[in-house]
Amino acid sequence: MRIAMRNVNKWFGANHVVNHVNLEAEEGEFVILLGPSGCGKTTILRLIAGLEQCDEGQIIIGERDVTALPPKFRDLAMVFQSYALYPHKTVADNIAFPLALRRVPAGERRQAAHEAAAQVKIADLLERYPRQLSGGQRQRVALARAIVRRPAAFLMDEPLSNLDARLRSHMRAELKNIQKRLGITTVYVTHDQIEAMTLGDRVVVLNQGEVSQVGPPGEIYGNPRTLFVADFVGSPPMNQVRGRVRQGVFYAGDSKVAVDAADCEHAVLGVRTEDVAPAAAADGDFAGVIYASELLGDCTLVTCQTGDTLLALKTDKNFAGGIGEPFGVRLNRDRLFLFDANHGRRIDNNARRAGKP
Amino acid sequence: MAPAGFRPLRIAGYAALVLWSAVVLFPLYWVAITSFKTPSQVNGGPYYLPFVDFMPSLHAWVYLLVDLRNDTLRPFFNSFVVALCSTVLAVLAGAMAAYGLSRFRYRVHLGSIGLFLLALGLAAVAVVQAGVHWPVAAAAALAFFFLAVRALAPRMRRSVGNQDILFWLISQRILPPVVVVIPVYLMFQQLNMLDTLPALVVTYATVNLPIVVWIMYDFFNALPRDLEESAAMDGASRMVIFLTVALPLARAGLAAVFLLVWILSWNEYLLALFLSTADSQTMPLLVAAQNATRGPQWWYMSALIVLMIVPVIALAMLLMRFIRRGFLVGAVKG
Amino acid sequence: MNAAGPPPAGRWSLWADRNAGSIFLLPAAVVVLAFSLFPLLASFYLSLHRFKFVSGGFELRHVGWLNYKKLLFGSQQYHFLGTAGEWHAAFTFVVVAAAAALIFCLYRAARRGVGAAGIVGRVLAAAALLVLLLLFLRIIVTGVPGTLATTLVYVFAGGALQFAIGLGLALLCTSGLRGGNFFRVVFFLPLMVTPVGIAYAFRMLSDMSKGPFAPLWKFFGGENFSWAADPWQARMVVIIGDSWQWIPFIFIIMLAAIENVDNEQREAARMDGADAWQVFAHVTWPAVMPAAATVVLIRAIEAFKIIDLPNILTNGGPGIATESMALHAFAAWRTLDLGGSAAVAYLLLVVSVVLSISFFNLVVAPSRRLR
Ligand SMILES: Nc1ncnc2c1ncn2[C@@H]1O[C@H](COP(=O)(O)OP(=O)(O)OP(=O)(O)O)[C@@H](O)[C@H]1O
Ligand SMILES: [Mg+2]
Repeated sequence: MRIAMRNVNKWFGANHVVNHVNLEAEEGEFVILLGPSGCGKTTILRLIAGLEQCDEGQIIIGERDVTALPPKFRDLAMVFQSYALYPHKTVADNIAFPLALRRVPAGERRQAAHEAAAQVKIADLLERYPRQLSGGQRQRVALARAIVRRPAAFLMDEPLSNLDARLRSHMRAELKNIQKRLGITTVYVTHDQIEAMTLGDRVVVLNQGEVSQVGPPGEIYGNPRTLFVADFVGSPPMNQVRGRVRQGVFYAGDSKVAVDAADCEHAVLGVRTEDVAPAAAADGDFAGVIYASELLGDCTLVTCQTGDTLLALKTDKNFAGGIGEPFGVRLNRDRLFLFDANHGRRIDNNARRAGKP
Repeated sequence: MAPAGFRPLRIAGYAALVLWSAVVLFPLYWVAITSFKTPSQVNGGPYYLPFVDFMPSLHAWVYLLVDLRNDTLRPFFNSFVVALCSTVLAVLAGAMAAYGLSRFRYRVHLGSIGLFLLALGLAAVAVVQAGVHWPVAAAAALAFFFLAVRALAPRMRRSVGNQDILFWLISQRILPPVVVVIPVYLMFQQLNMLDTLPALVVTYATVNLPIVVWIMYDFFNALPRDLEESAAMDGASRMVIFLTVALPLARAGLAAVFLLVWILSWNEYLLALFLSTADSQTMPLLVAAQNATRGPQWWYMSALIVLMIVPVIALAMLLMRFIRRGFLVGAVKG
Repeated sequence: MNAAGPPPAGRWSLWADRNAGSIFLLPAAVVVLAFSLFPLLASFYLSLHRFKFVSGGFELRHVGWLNYKKLLFGSQQYHFLGTAGEWHAAFTFVVVAAAAALIFCLYRAARRGVGAAGIVGRVLAAAALLVLLLLFLRIIVTGVPGTLATTLVYVFAGGALQFAIGLGLALLCTSGLRGGNFFRVVFFLPLMVTPVGIAYAFRMLSDMSKGPFAPLWKFFGGENFSWAADPWQARMVVIIGDSWQWIPFIFIIMLAAIENVDNEQREAARMDGADAWQVFAHVTWPAVMPAAATVVLIRAIEAFKIIDLPNILTNGGPGIATESMALHAFAAWRTLDLGGSAAVAYLLLVVSVVLSISFFNLVVAPSRRLR
């Protein structure tokens, strides 16, 4: 079902944790809440769940205004970061608990628990207790407990964060698959870039309780609307060069780059690592020396120092420059972002052309 | 303080443990063997070892269990019913209150407390001075209280919170039973409930409620909230969460509290002395009754004491594996 | 897969969920209000009256504070407060020194800024301590104790004895000696015995002609002597009986507290070169201090109510030597002096509340704050 938050505010004491948040998740959509630690992701999820009360604003599920409704009546299923499995119940009883609460007959309950367990491939663990399971298995039990009934929506709070890297990528694929198969609206909290990029139909980037940008993963990455989003999304992070813009030229130290942007005294030029290419020290946009070179496996990440800024770029994995050697870089003119350092908003004209996300 | 390595210290340690075991066990041993002595063996005593320096006899047991039979079994049954019901009641009400205090935020306006006391005072004056029938006065006072709270609630500012309520509930334990026993006696007299089991059940439950709140509050506070929130999402009501999630997780504390409260109500003497005369006589009263005009009947008394210890030990063995943990949490944090 | 759908949001279940907090608290609040608050007030009312049976009921005559006056200054003073003995010059010195120490503590508390309520509470606690000291000197050291002093002896002397032995046993049981589990179970037993039974059992044990220790007394030539005739020995016997029952309680809680102390801390201290005593003083004791403070508080609260043991073991005798305040109230009730009984009970309540709350605020609460 559709989930909507209308102008929601929430304070913890004087701490404005959720600040005028508007959010829509369409039927069957996979929406990611992405943001740094402490920005209010969990709080937003708990507001949707009804575990916290909104101070202002409305929450709508389907066509129903549920703002004042206790969690029990909202018909959502939540996967907690800690999984929240009942230690005194077996896996089967854990999974069947939501059905038991709805007075589903025991036979049907067992059947449904078995099917849900089979979906996440833990059908052989049904008689165990949570303490006898590994982290990944526990996570699947929590997932099975969520899918055993058809809730209006899934809410997931960093469900994969306790798993090791391999298991995490495996579970990611599985989660996406199950969600699309069941077609159930999902709101998913994470601060992991890759999870956000791979899982989401749409990503909501949060900063200190405010929505910074909403859009499909590609757009968040390729067309960040604020310096914060540009800085936070992407790994390695976007290169940033401080300088000023005068009449279509960006000046930083001795270097200058032609840009399509309004004048600004304190500007930041942003460019992704893949949009920076090595050039001869003389005819690049920036000239400097090699500061560091890291082999990532499929490529080498070279960091070049020009003045007091560092610029990272990806080059061939066989790159063999030594630290301190002179190095020049050229920027991809079509892929430059300019931000006003004061308020962080975009000032280049590409931003307007790309339209409002 | 580990004498484990050092020889003389270790021997001293064992000596102390054995000595204290003797201190604990000897009185119990003496009671047990006295229940198998004849009056002349007791009065001619002391005799220490059955079969060696006296011939044990079952006469006290036969007298109590065969000759008197119902006069022994009825108090036993009474004690059992009273202990069981009052313990269940106290643990349930106390655990509910402790859970509530650890999960919800309460605000009781000072104004409504004042109104309550005012209503109580007015009712008391009406009963004592004007001779109003007490049920009428009580009903009128309650009605006054609720109406006044409704009318005045928006004007009340200052209020007390969870910690104050918790302290109030726990502090009830300071109340010595002798302070309340006379009014309670008069109250049950008015209700025609003197010498009945329900009167004892309710009184014991009240007296032991603070202990339950005290220990269980810490238990519930220490439980992770995730589990309960997850259950709420899955559609469980608050009561269902309490019964199917919180209580099972806190069962260690429940077991310990249950045992402690059981011991206290099973063994209680003073309140029973006031509130029961014949029909609802409990075991401690029966034990005391053996101190008859003919002097203490040590042999019957001892047999009854043994009879009283057995069920408690059985219950303790049943709950023992939970106990140590249970007692601690209540004690350490509170 | 089961499409169970949302649970019906019926009015009743919605209401129950919204008011869950009140519902959880209600049973306990009602029970306490009905069976504690009302009797408390009624009892106070009763203590201001003289109770008399008349044909077909009873009659209450208002007498003001008379019942209290009698206990504190009048005909019952010897019974309640006791009879004061001579005043020694040394007492003056002790009292002045104590007062000076208390004032210094108050000054320090005020400097630390504990707030108005904190100062008032501390002044009250200090006054109570001074009164206790005077009582101790004039009544217990040189005079004849009344029920108040006797009760305080039970609470302080009994409590200290029980705590010392309980803690010692707990330390022994956690010191790596074998058979700890066996001793644990054995040491727990006395808690399960009814106080009435304990009282009678100790009457048998302390019988000097037919009890198990009779030969011992004979050997020492004490057969003509009776502890029951000597006030302090009679009190000792009551304390011994009470301790026998309650040491297990302290033992079991201290045991759990000690076992809960992180063993690595102890090992770290030992690596740093601490001996057994230093490990106890610097690691174990600070860690178990909150539990210790709480258990002492619980024990004190219960000890103020002591009645079964002196009632049965000594019947309050010789004279009133072993009579506790609760027993005093009970005895007054037996003579149908309901007003006087309520007054004694109320004074007991005041004493135990003042001392318990002082102890809580000055010892238990700070010990917890340290953690
Ligand atoms: N119950 C609470 N009381 C007071 N402040 C709270 C409470 N819960 C959260 N906060 C504060 O609200 C802010 C947002 O917290 P929240 O848990 O939503 O962050 P988050 O985005 O989920 O972070 P993380 O990624 O670390 O989980 C934080 O500053 C936190 O300190
Ligand atoms: Mg979070």
